[in-house]
Amino acid sequence: MNERVSPVFPPAPWSVRTKRAARQAAMKSWLEGMVYLFPSLLLFGVFLFYPLGRTMYLSVFHTDYQGQPTEFAGLAHFVALLQDDSFWHSLKATILFAALTVPTTVAVSFGLALLVHETRKGIGIFRTIFASTMGMSVGVASVIWMFMYNPAIGIINRLLSAIGGVPVSWLLDQDTALYAVAAATIWMNIGLTFLLLLAGLQNIDPSLYESARIAGMSYWRQLWTVTVPLLSPTLFFVTTVSLIQALQTFGQIDFLTKGGPVEATNVFVYAIYREAFVNYQFGSASAQAIVLFLIIALVTFLQFRFAERKVHYQ
Amino acid sequence: MRKVLASFLTLMFIGLAAGCSSEDAGEAAGGKTEVVFWHSMSGDLEPVLNDIVADFNQTHPEIEVKPVFQGTYEEALTKWNAVAGTKDAPTIMQTFEVGTKHMIDSGKVVPVQTWIDKDKYDVSQWEKNIVNYYTVNGRIYSMPFNSSTPVLIYNKDAFREAGIDPEKPPLTYSELKEAAKKLTKKKGKETERYGFSILNYGWFFEEMVAVQGGLYVNNDNGRNGDATKAVFNGTEGKRVFELIRDMYRDGTFYNAGQNWDDMRAAFQAGKIAMYLDSSAGVKTVINNSPFDVGVSYLPVPDGVERQGVIIGGASLWMMKGSSEEEQKAAWEFMKYLTTAPVQAKWHVRTGYFAINPAAYDEPLVKDEWAKYPQLKVTVDQLHETKSTPATQGALITVFPESRQHVVKAMERLYEGIDPQEALDQAAEETNRALQGAGR
Repeated sequence: MNERVSPVFPPAPWSVRTKRAARQAAMKSWLEGMVYLFPSLLLFGVFLFYPLGRTMYLSVFHTDYQGQPTEFAGLAHFVALLQDDSFWHSLKATILFAALTVPTTVAVSFGLALLVHETRKGIGIFRTIFASTMGMSVGVASVIWMFMYNPAIGIINRLLSAIGGVPVSWLLDQDTALYAVAAATIWMNIGLTFLLLLAGLQNIDPSLYESARIAGMSYWRQLWTVTVPLLSPTLFFVTTVSLIQALQTFGQIDFLTKGGPVEATNVFVYAIYREAFVNYQFGSASAQAIVLFLIIALVTFLQFRFAERKVHYQ
Repeated sequence: MRKVLASFLTLMFIGLAAGCSSEDAGEAAGGKTEVVFWHSMSGDLEPVLNDIVADFNQTHPEIEVKPVFQGTYEEALTKWNAVAGTKDAPTIMQTFEVGTKHMIDSGKVVPVQTWIDKDKYDVSQWEKNIVNYYTVNGRIYSMPFNSSTPVLIYNKDAFREAGIDPEKPPLTYSELKEAAKKLTKKKGKETERYGFSILNYGWFFEEMVAVQGGLYVNNDNGRNGDATKAVFNGTEGKRVFELIRDMYRDGTFYNAGQNWDDMRAAFQAGKIAMYLDSSAGVKTVINNSPFDVGVSYLPVPDGVERQGVIIGGASLWMMKGSSEEEQKAAWEFMKYLTTAPVQAKWHVRTGYFAINPAAYDEPLVKDEWAKYPQLKVTVDQLHETKSTPATQGALITVFPESRQHVVKAMERLYEGIDPQEALDQAAEETNRALQGAGR
């Protein structure tokens, strides 16, 4: 990488290059770089680094209802968390939720992208339909699903009764609530994942398929030896982003179940929200947020460490 | 086409210019005292509130009240926490009843008693049972504004169909169970109609305990010194939980979840025949149900004397940070809100109680009651309430958290856990929250 960076100030033939001048030039180039970076540094600082620092700071304090630190707590919040059953419960729910949503979302989106990859008459209609959930906010989508799941008037139970099944209280039953929210979430996330994968597919050089056909490869063989390796950077990106998103799920939980029944859907971010904004325990909520941050950092690190090896960059 | 576009743009510019100039006019008028009023009235309620404020601003040229919607009570309170004591804080803040202790302890509010005394205002004209809730240590801290109580709502058509007199709704637990059994209708494995339902929401549990005279926390519900321990897991709480457990086991109780709209939809769809709702929702339910709707009192266990209900809803708080002038203007507005005509309008259009009982004599209310006799039931239930610490309601800062624990306990009931065990756990979790709150 380094050899491709050209020096910002090429030495002028008439200048006498002393060490001091070189250092000045380096300083100048550094400053210039900083000027370019300034807008993004400012935004990151205000919206990312400051809140992160503040969260770390609050996680070792007791706070009043306004979120002002009152008394140093040390690691008390972290110790209390580790001893709290509902913390472990919400960790389990979050992992299960991610395991339910991420692979399914990617697999379904991949399938849909393959279906509409080839150019046919009217294919644009299907592409638009498959990508359409992208344009819907979590709130709107959740309300739609809330009505579909409604045990009394929801369409899902009506269809169930029509074919002779017994109605299910999807969001009110401890055993089905998390699956129901996961199904809604998969539907919500398909749009964007589908679009990214379709774009990835379109980028694959058609001549490769041509060669594969000449070599007499079957469709599945082509899929496995040409499409998947060349799409792997996109697949990797999509999986990483979906996983982070799944670990941070909040909106649909707030709309559909409020963490219930009996905490069955009390995923991590929702638990943090409740602790901070319903219970006004900003200290222990911050501690939970730090734990979540560490978990996401670890998972993402592991993904890059192991999964990225299988990624084929052209 | 181009012409249309051009004229459209011109119109927009004119609109913009007009918008600017009218704002300028507002500033230029000066001399007006501005009162920022944060509230949580959404849906059908917000336009009614805005109408009342507009009337006030028109009749009080020296004051400009600016209502600002700030989300649900919980959301508004969180926002208020962030700005309390700064100049961004509103002059008047609407907060739900369970936030009362939180507001007092914040130290950022002026008790309205201060202005009642200054103005020598006669509060005896206010509804005594409502004022009681907001009276702490003998002082009225906030101005009761929108108050509601729980009621039993039932489907009269379903009653007739099941052979029950629709004018004799169940008043005791055994009557409730019996009626629910008759009202439940099965088709094969599926239950077409359930007898009864209670929303998984802490407020209903609190009310069903209070109506028996049971306390929620110790020290007279926290009104005689700070509460240190939850006591809702006593006999009264157990009776409520056992009722739900028994009825759920019999298949006559419908688990409606935590969402008000889901429960109301189930009732309107004929899926449940009786349920508990807030009196503030009565009118909407009557209008939206395709059958005859009856309204009755909260049922009590057999042999237990009815004590009455706790006031739900919200009240208005005055902020310490605002100037004397703003406070005075805010007080003027609060007084205006309690006048009989305004209260009559408020009661009729929303279903909330009138703070000022004189409103019930206004022709507006009389006409409405003739049309909706059910509205009167809610008022009668309030009037028959005996004022005790139980019906005054609990005063604790950690109410929102405690409610979560109670909701969880209700949900665990459906999973088949023992009522006492579920209650004990909720009480213990509330105790922990109570101890943590002192910090």
